Amino acid sequence: MIQKKICLLGGFSVGKTSLIKRYVDSIFDDKYLTTVGVKIDKKQVEVENKKVNLMIWDLAGEDDFCRLQMSYLRGAAGYILVADPTRPHTLDKLFCLHKRAQKTIGNIPAIIALNKHDLVDQWSLSDSHLSELEQLQQPILKTSAKSGDLVQSLFIDLATQMLSD
Amino acid sequence: MVGANMTLLEHTLCGLNQVVLSRISEQRFEVITPIPKIISPLFRLESERYLDIDDSWPFLSHFLYDAQSHWQEQHPAAFDSGVWLETVKGRELALEASAMFINGQALLLVKELGQKYTETAERLQSARDHLLMEESLEREVVKRTRQIAEREEQISLCLLAAAGCRDQETGAHIRRIGLYAALMAEELGWSRAQVDQIRLAAPMHDIGKIGIPDHILQKPGRLEPHERTIMETHAAIGASMLSGTEIEMMNTASDIARCHHERWDGSGYPQGLKAEDIPISARITAIVDVYDALVHKRVYKPAFDEAEAMVMMSEMAGTQIDPRLFEVFQQLLPKMRAIREQVRD
Repeated sequence: MIQKKICLLGGFSVGKTSLIKRYVDSIFDDKYLTTVGVKIDKKQVEVENKKVNLMIWDLAGEDDFCRLQMSYLRGAAGYILVADPTRPHTLDKLFCLHKRAQKTIGNIPAIIALNKHDLVDQWSLSDSHLSELEQLQQPILKTSAKSGDLVQSLFIDLATQMLSD
Repeated sequence: MVGANMTLLEHTLCGLNQVVLSRISEQRFEVITPIPKIISPLFRLESERYLDIDDSWPFLSHFLYDAQSHWQEQHPAAFDSGVWLETVKGRELALEASAMFINGQALLLVKELGQKYTETAERLQSARDHLLMEESLEREVVKRTRQIAEREEQISLCLLAAAGCRDQETGAHIRRIGLYAALMAEELGWSRAQVDQIRLAAPMHDIGKIGIPDHILQKPGRLEPHERTIMETHAAIGASMLSGTEIEMMNTASDIARCHHERWDGSGYPQGLKAEDIPISARITAIVDVYDALVHKRVYKPAFDEAEAMVMMSEMAGTQIDPRLFEVFQQLLPKMRAIREQVRD
């Protein structure tokens, strides 16, 4: 079976762990529990008639207290960049992590999750954020770990990109 | 004695939830100390003592890549993997590995962090909860500030509507003045809040005309000297109407109303202020007001084309209007024109 490593990157409390929990275990918990270190989950999927074992690396969110070790990305076939548009500065973190990831592992498939779409009325994306997102030329999905919206697509779309890469 | 010491060491390591592995080959390790009970379900050993760190150990096998160079360099100091989490019998365990080279042996120490991890996680959780709370409060302040600004805008529109009942200036002229002034302020590097303030305040520059009698305000043709004196009081009337609040935008509006007829050379009214003694908000408004008046038709004059208007304004620079601000205005002329074309009478 094909095995692919994917990493989730983003600022703290953007919902990386919740997206994985929703995808792998179909559960959601509203309570925010910060991730310290790395947690690896596995999920078997079928993409284009091929069975793929996804190794999903949940990397602790980066902030002033914790800097992400980019070496964790080594061997990744793709990554998911997560931001919470109710906290627009998490988009700045996303852009910064994307640049650092590209510098570390080059151009591998990536996908952007604008998470917490269930709170879309509280999103506040500036024009500059929107244009910068457009410039990244990466697929963007408006996900909600809470409702499950587009969570499945997020992982499957990335897996599809990785297989065709 | 040595054996007894080893046993003591083994017990100590086991008590600390640590196990030591010695490297046999790139992936194969020999477990050389007892495996602590808490992590024993993770260790599915090949025979009794050997462990293959392969894909079933994704984090550790990833760490081995970095550890190999550490061992090759024969560093005795510990090189740490960072924390990773494993679920054992429904319980999440925080682990960390360290690579070290001691007595010619490449060693891998795996430890369960237990309370140390719990404390770190709790500290981080509390710091991040605090940050989230601060962020949430900041968002609330921004939201409330925006609501206040919207209310200020509504109040200024009501005031302008009241003044507009008696003044002949069009609503479009009033809007343009605000937009031109905001453009200038932006170019001058003012903050977003200040730009918004002048956008709302500049249109109120002539609001004092509400206090001028109709027979003077609406008189066609030239005003007599005594009528002109009365007309000129609109600056002070406007300033007085707009003063006395603690609203920043209203204070700016009051300054503009009082000083928009002051002239750079000191020959203006009501106070005869000169050059930079005139508030910058009023100097900006004076420039954009002159521009808009020149390029639009009035009952007493035709509309000049823009080139003519610019020649006339160039002559005013240094006497009537601030010459440096006029330079800024000239640089922005294409954008000013765009506003003029978008907001028509």
